[in-house]
Amino acid sequence: MASNEVLIIGGGIAGMQAALDLGDMGITVHLVEKNPSIGGKMAQLDKTFPTNDCTI
Amino acid sequence: MVEFSGEIGSFKAKVHRKARYVDASKCTACGACAEKCPTKVPNEFNFGLNDRKAIYKDYAQGIPSVYTIDPNHCRVFQGKKCGVCAKQCQAGAIDYEQKDSYVDLEVAAVIVATGYDLFDATRIPEYGYGRFPNVISSLEMERLLSAGGPTAGHLARPSVVKGEARLKELPKLIAKAEKDEKTDAASALNKERKWLEEHVHKYPTAKKLGFIQCVGSRDFRFHKYCSNYCCMHSIKEAIIARDHEPETESYIFYMDLRTVGKGFEEYKIRGAKVSGLKYVRGRVAEVLQDEELNPVVYFEDTEQRCVRSMTLDMVILANACSASKGIVTVAELLGIALDENNFVKTHPNKPLDTSVPGIFTCGCAQGPLDIPESVAQASSAAARAAEVVMTGGRALAV
Repeated sequence: MASNEVLIIGGGIAGMQAALDLGDMGITVHLVEKNPSIGGKMAQLDKTFPTNDCTI
Repeated sequence: MVEFSGEIGSFKAKVHRKARYVDASKCTACGACAEKCPTKVPNEFNFGLNDRKAIYKDYAQGIPSVYTIDPNHCRVFQGKKCGVCAKQCQAGAIDYEQKDSYVDLEVAAVIVATGYDLFDATRIPEYGYGRFPNVISSLEMERLLSAGGPTAGHLARPSVVKGEARLKELPKLIAKAEKDEKTDAASALNKERKWLEEHVHKYPTAKKLGFIQCVGSRDFRFHKYCSNYCCMHSIKEAIIARDHEPETESYIFYMDLRTVGKGFEEYKIRGAKVSGLKYVRGRVAEVLQDEELNPVVYFEDTEQRCVRSMTLDMVILANACSASKGIVTVAELLGIALDENNFVKTHPNKPLDTSVPGIFTCGCAQGPLDIPESVAQASSAAARAAEVVMTGGRALAV
């Protein structure tokens, strides 16, 4: 039987954004991340260009 | 992920869920456990610039908001008596007996968003990374600038951060050496302590910064490709450093400044005009260090047509974006092809489709990207995956 769920490997900014978009469409998402927290490299960044806003 | 099979519309995956040794449904992330935990471990989230405990969270806002025990360092897992965290935890969330588990999933589509690894700059020994304390990577610079980082946002030189930590532990080591009657060791330690006491605080703040671009990228010895985001990344770090400390002088050593993107070129110009950044066109040949631990860069100034040197407080390397090491295993499991640089192979007309229908990719797993492009690709990959879910894979099946 066809499934209607999606698996995302990697919980960085790309994986999180894809997961949020799919979630908003009502689709069940499994987000797999190897570290204890999601966020990836972007969580380590202080601020981002070009606006110098804080990140996550 | 440990097992994977099936085809578009009905993939089967087995995922290895690592034990946290903390019950996620009970932990309130109050932090009492980490406060009392006796074991200190270099904090990899801050690249060892400070310590974390054996029970930890990567960062305060980390999601899921649950502490995790690191079994490689926790005393209990080394067979010693401890259990301090379990005593401190009022929620009763600590569970040393928790086991790894496996989760079976059935999914219609997969998105590979495994990101990238920072290029290991020790592979370019002439830049001194790993040998000189004040030569750091672009991500270490982020942690130094961050208000939530090891220096609470003060741009301290790593030689000061590490020197202070060493000064704190030296008296203990000296006392131990003296007790064991190891006079040579004790005198060496005393000498080190004296030197640190005299020198560590001479330059408390890094004010003269050099940014070396294309470290590992556009370099035929390592990655031939351009890493895309580093020019903007270095300019941003230099601007923020100046915001922290108005006396900061920054030099950006570049081959070409590739500021392609909405508002990016304007940002570069603002850097020069408002924040006083100096863009120096030329490749850095070598970084040395003087007796005050100041990095000295030797570079060719192609605009002045001469070879020059400059003494700086700190050098920040713009490390290339390398394919993540784990991607090879993931790609093998999924059966997807990688390109010659180990990024996920895609077709120019379908930049998010891997070689297997129903498996998509986005972000730096696909190639070096900045944040806006990663986010745009992620939304696009989500739409592709949703297509599969809604049509049962018929729309994309070939």
